[in-house]
Amino acid sequence: MGMSGVALPPTASDPVTQGHPEATRHDRPLTMVALVATNLWAKKARSAGIAFAVALAVMTVVTLTVVSSGLETAASAVLTVGKADFTVAQNGVSDILYSNIDTGQLERIGATPGVKSSVGVLLETERINAANPLFIEIGIQPDDLTTFGVTVVAGTAYGATASKEVMLGWRAAQNLGLHVGDTFHANGTANRIVGIYSTGISYGDSAAMFPLPALQAYNRVPGSVSLVFVKIAPGQSSAQVQRALTRDQPELTTISTLAQAGRADRNLVFLKAAVTGSTILALVIGAIVVGNTMLLSLFERTREFGLLRAIGWGRRRVVWLVVSESLVLALLGSAIGVAVSFLVTTVLEALPQLHGVLHSDFTPGAFWRGFAVGIGMAILGSLYPSVRAANLTPLKALSNE
Amino acid sequence: MSEASTAAPMIETHGVTKVYADGRVQALAGVDLSVSAGEFVAVTGPSGCGKSTLLGLLAALDSPTSGTIRVGSHALEQLHDANHFRRQEVGLVFQFHNLLPRLSTLHNVEIAMLGSTRPHAERTGFALGLLDDVGLAHLAHRRPPQLSGGERQRVAVARALANEPSVLFADEPTGSLDSHSTEVVLALFQRLRTERGVTIVIVTHDETVAATADRTVHMLDGRIDLEGPTP
Ligand SMILES: Nc1ncnc2c1ncn2[C@@H]1O[C@H](COP(=O)(O)OP(=O)(O)OP(=O)(O)O)[C@@H](O)[C@H]1O
Ligand SMILES: [Mg+2]
Repeated sequence: MGMSGVALPPTASDPVTQGHPEATRHDRPLTMVALVATNLWAKKARSAGIAFAVALAVMTVVTLTVVSSGLETAASAVLTVGKADFTVAQNGVSDILYSNIDTGQLERIGATPGVKSSVGVLLETERINAANPLFIEIGIQPDDLTTFGVTVVAGTAYGATASKEVMLGWRAAQNLGLHVGDTFHANGTANRIVGIYSTGISYGDSAAMFPLPALQAYNRVPGSVSLVFVKIAPGQSSAQVQRALTRDQPELTTISTLAQAGRADRNLVFLKAAVTGSTILALVIGAIVVGNTMLLSLFERTREFGLLRAIGWGRRRVVWLVVSESLVLALLGSAIGVAVSFLVTTVLEALPQLHGVLHSDFTPGAFWRGFAVGIGMAILGSLYPSVRAANLTPLKALSNE
Repeated sequence: MSEASTAAPMIETHGVTKVYADGRVQALAGVDLSVSAGEFVAVTGPSGCGKSTLLGLLAALDSPTSGTIRVGSHALEQLHDANHFRRQEVGLVFQFHNLLPRLSTLHNVEIAMLGSTRPHAERTGFALGLLDDVGLAHLAHRRPPQLSGGERQRVAVARALANEPSVLFADEPTGSLDSHSTEVVLALFQRLRTERGVTIVIVTHDETVAATADRTVHMLDGRIDLEGPTP
């Protein structure tokens, strides 16, 4: 005989059929979600502590991510100042601006089969004013301007060997409030603005162009350029030309996408490694904080979990309760962390010392990364406590000490 | 024996022993117990004689070192889902800490239904009905700290009945109650037995509490030493 057979059949006083007048209004049935909310609310200080730890870690990770990706974009911006199928730089320099290619190497690039045109440019940065601490200066021969994708939109181009002559990108001219005929102080001297140019590329148009020998002389690098912008002949494979070029001159490297900028800029590689390291560190520290707090609360709740097990809760339901409590806090903390990070970077960017240097790149990727870190912390941190909770013997509820 | 012995007993144990992990404490030293369906049994005996241990084994909170236990149609040593057994087949009431202080009285009853087969929509109404049965429907939205000890135990009984079990186990359910609250709770047990036919086993120190049961089982040193209808 099954045990349920012993229970009496429903009677007039059976609660199911009776329906209680008290049940009419505000009684929401108890669900796991409601239970999680109640538990978190009952321990406000602890919940806030966990959410705060998560928020702190998420904020750190997101801020580092957006700032580093902003730096990366800025650092690789010089690669996009001109039109090219790919760019050639010196292999393994710490900063792409330190890349150094001499006339002989430049000629061999031009002679590589499949190369249609190659433009060597010298790239420097200079502090123009507080708003432009890393103003890009491009040294380029006037003959190469067309190939490089430059259109003179006002005035004329400078002479090949002119000194104290400059062309400003139209964005730079606009930002600085300068026109053709005005004086532009840069490159160690007062330069007359002979023309305004446009490349159609925002970084190029925010820069200035000098006759190559003048920029080389001022920066004491006669005969060298930083980067070579290469266009390939029709019908050629870019990858094949790049391979041929680096086989011929292994001390050079080719870059055809911004993602490859690291090849010529080891600072970027270090930066990315530092961000990855910090992310892992934040994740681990956060998980330890969450885990430690959860474990402490677990000791406090031994009897509660014992009781739940005694009245028929399975292990999985107990684990689910513990993990969802920390997941809810993780989501909350992540949201706060992402929001605060957004504020922090906005404030940092506005600081006079960092203005124009720090560009935060608030991408959806950084957003999701923040949430992934927050949720990862919660899951890692509640793993051990929830296993402990599940293994509590239901007998604990019977004991009273 | 009484006429109940003609049907298969509701609870039956054979040679149940329990030795605790360190091997030095023999809490139970061979218990043979039989409880008929609908019977109300009180287990008494001096402190440390194994009463709580026995109750815990009957409720599948722990397993015996040796011996067999059958509750209803379930042979506990062959139980594959002890959680299901505890949830659906037995109701438990303890002396202390029965309720979760954060939850309302109503939710303290409903919490036993999480994971049960009862449809969500019916749970609140059913829980309120149970609170009504123990005379506490008007306190459905109070929290346990705002209840008297006797009221708390009646809520615990209501929760124990949440999944309509056929057996109710209570360990010192009146142990911390005054005489009036004790009477109310005992009257409730009597009603459950007569109106619902629930089989009840309680552990108690109190002779007057034991006297309200159909039968008293007296334990000593992990064994049943006296058994018989209450005088
Ligand atoms: N988890 C445990 N580990 C070791 N020994 C235990 C454990 N639980 C109970 N015991 C021992 O087993 C014996 C029986 O304990 P039990 O709790 O069943 O006694 P009891 O009859 O309920 O006593 P009381 O009336 O004081 O509640 C005691 O000697 C006790 O110390
Ligand atoms: Mg006991």
